[in-house]
Amino acid sequence: MDRENLEKAVINLEPKACGCAKTDRAAVEVPVEKLIELMRRLKSDDKFAFNMLLDHTAVDRIAEGKFELVYNLYSIVHGHYLMISCSIDRNKPVVPTVSGIWPIAHWQEREVFDLFGVLYDGHTDLRRLFLEDDWNGFPLRKDYSDPDMLTFET
Amino acid sequence: MGLITDKLPGYLEHVPGGSILITSIDAIMNHSRANSLWPLAFGTKCCAIEMLMATGAPHQDTSRFGTEVARQTPRQADMMIIAGAIVKKMALRMRLLYEQMAEPRYVIATGSCAISGGPFMYNSYTIVRGADEIVPVDVYVPGCPPRPEAFFWGLLTLQKMIKQGESIRHPDIRKKPVLARLPHGIKSEDIHRQIRELLEQENCVDVVKEARRKIWAAKVDEWIEKTSKKQS
Repeated sequence: MDRENLEKAVINLEPKACGCAKTDRAAVEVPVEKLIELMRRLKSDDKFAFNMLLDHTAVDRIAEGKFELVYNLYSIVHGHYLMISCSIDRNKPVVPTVSGIWPIAHWQEREVFDLFGVLYDGHTDLRRLFLEDDWNGFPLRKDYSDPDMLTFET
Repeated sequence: MGLITDKLPGYLEHVPGGSILITSIDAIMNHSRANSLWPLAFGTKCCAIEMLMATGAPHQDTSRFGTEVARQTPRQADMMIIAGAIVKKMALRMRLLYEQMAEPRYVIATGSCAISGGPFMYNSYTIVRGADEIVPVDVYVPGCPPRPEAFFWGLLTLQKMIKQGESIRHPDIRKKPVLARLPHGIKSEDIHRQIRELLEQENCVDVVKEARRKIWAAKVDEWIEKTSKKQS
């Protein structure tokens, strides 16, 4: 499916979702409550068949007080891409895990937890991935500070 | 080797003519050390791929300088080539590898990341700003990444340092070679003249202006004004 048809089909599937105009590829924004349900159907539905989670990452929107979680999906069967994003509260960053749907999400969610401190509800092994186990804070948050860090002011 | 380096100087000092013998032993040992450096390629980033692998390849051949025996174990190496940025998690491992290396050990830091942190110096939560904060570095090779020729320049500098440096009397003290030479067409008299001109310019003082320029001058003026008002 091309971009417009794909966005329309996803919005038909989940009426609370809305399209994003700014992106290069098909992109859809969903509320957190509907995330898991939509993901499950996107994978199992033959029309979409998104059987690969390419990437999962987060964006710290500190001005709005939100984390934007980004899921990049790819279908090997149809060869189309889709970007799903959902915003969660920055002070209470809890989101249900998608590792039950795509097992690779185990690692990607651990990485996002390591660097942003997003907590995944239902994740079986939520530990730090890259940093040391006794690291304080989450370094990719915009308000992170470190005594060893040399800050550059323009 | 332990016998020669540890005990020989103590015995020979008392023998007449012994110090001459020690000096010639030094020369032989330094010559052989300088020409059979076994490298430990500690490559953590792009410097290792762009520069270090190119130097090992046949086009620029490190075995011309006697440093081709690359064993990937620190216990058989005596020259560590740090190529790439060092992060906090890697720093412990690098120190461990350095301490496992055979003595005497030498370190070359190549590329701006290994020298100072390079482009990751600011606002990075994980960089170590310079490999010399973890291990002592003998030669720095700047560049991002350096050309293989630059690396060979560093290698030859290290060999020069080893050849003229250590003595078995003081095994841990090294003399670094001073390589500064004046660029072509500049004489030392020119530099002297320029420095003299600058100094003369700087030391030509307008006393009144200089007194106004100081920070306290304004405060003293204020103070004088206040006191004169009170008196009137």
